[in-house]
Amino acid sequence: MMSGCPGSRTLTFPKDDGVQVPAGKVPSQLRQWPIQLHLVSPSAPYFQGADVVLAADCVPFAMGDFHNTYLKGKALAIACPKLDGGQEIYLEKVRGLFEDANINSLTVTIMQVPCCRGLLGMAMQALEASSRKVPVKAVIVSLQGEVLQEEWAAV
Amino acid sequence: MEKYLRTPIKEIIGKYPPVGALLEEYRIGCVPCSVGTCLLADIVEIHNLSPEDEATLMAGIAGIVSPGQVVALPEPRNRRPETPRKTSYSPPMKALVEEHRQIKRFLAVLPVVIDRFDARSEADRDLVRDGLDFVRSYADRFHHAKEEDILFACFDPGLDILKAMREDHERGRAHVRAAGEALARGDGEGIAANLHGYAEVLAEHIKKEDEILYPWMDRNLSMRQVGELFARFQAVDERFAEDRKKYESFVGRLEDANAEPISEVR
Repeated sequence: MMSGCPGSRTLTFPKDDGVQVPAGKVPSQLRQWPIQLHLVSPSAPYFQGADVVLAADCVPFAMGDFHNTYLKGKALAIACPKLDGGQEIYLEKVRGLFEDANINSLTVTIMQVPCCRGLLGMAMQALEASSRKVPVKAVIVSLQGEVLQEEWAAV
Repeated sequence: MEKYLRTPIKEIIGKYPPVGALLEEYRIGCVPCSVGTCLLADIVEIHNLSPEDEATLMAGIAGIVSPGQVVALPEPRNRRPETPRKTSYSPPMKALVEEHRQIKRFLAVLPVVIDRFDARSEADRDLVRDGLDFVRSYADRFHHAKEEDILFACFDPGLDILKAMREDHERGRAHVRAAGEALARGDGEGIAANLHGYAEVLAEHIKKEDEILYPWMDRNLSMRQVGELFARFQAVDERFAEDRKKYESFVGRLEDANAEPISEVR
């Protein structure tokens, strides 16, 4: 029976190190710096008219193919809805992405743990407060990096 | 089997009618389609069956077209596990589905309007005129134009499924033109026949789009395309905002008057 916070419960995932993976380096799809939500500005050129991914910190580590599946061709901001301070600043920044950066779409990738829902909630709150609407897609990722759910958020 | 995968579905059903019934079992409604130029391979792909269902369906078709023969079946596309468990319409598709809902409300009232229609009544003629205006303006100039000018442009124009959708639009337009001509000459039967024809074409067309075409498009559109479609649809919505209110209110009044004398609808 599960007890305690699912977000900080200790788990190990046995892996077969002998499994073959494609040879050669996988290139990064990151097109900007910085990426942390406190450090980025909606006025940064890479956000203007962009398709943006707002990723919970853990997602790119959990997903083996995050770069090619979600980051390719997009601008990025990362945050942790559980541990980061100053989340009211996050709300304003995401609103700034909608209103000032005129982003084209937002993909919010979060982990399946309940605390991660806060990031999607914050993004939706920012969308609601924004005078400009764009499509927002929520992607929920399992602890072992599988996409559990992809859903369009109501605009 | 490869030969049949590259054959238009109407040709296969024409030669082997049980294939149509088999497709129906998988909710693939090609039998009533008036175009039928889609290739079997594309139809199987567009309906996004599970690998198990796809394998069973293909085996069933092979059993009909080549009975008693051992046929090499294509490998089922194993896309399902890679796709999300739950899907929903993207915002631009959702907007189109909502417009369909308004058109279906109109189609649902249409048989009553036709039954009550009296060509000698000025009020009834005005009501049909308003109905044709709704169809021409809301369903065609607003909704179908969004599809043909914006949405379909995201895909290869040579796709059979898009040709079939455009053909449905044209068939609908032909019925509306003919109904307008019948109205001008006071031909009650001509009006009724063409309005019924329009309702039949549109009801089937909307079902195909809501259940098959839009989900398939959503699976194939990038986030960039979805964002751009959303913005372009919003621009159309803004230009059409006043008319949209007027036409949606017309449908509401038509429904309200459903149990009342037609002359009170306008």
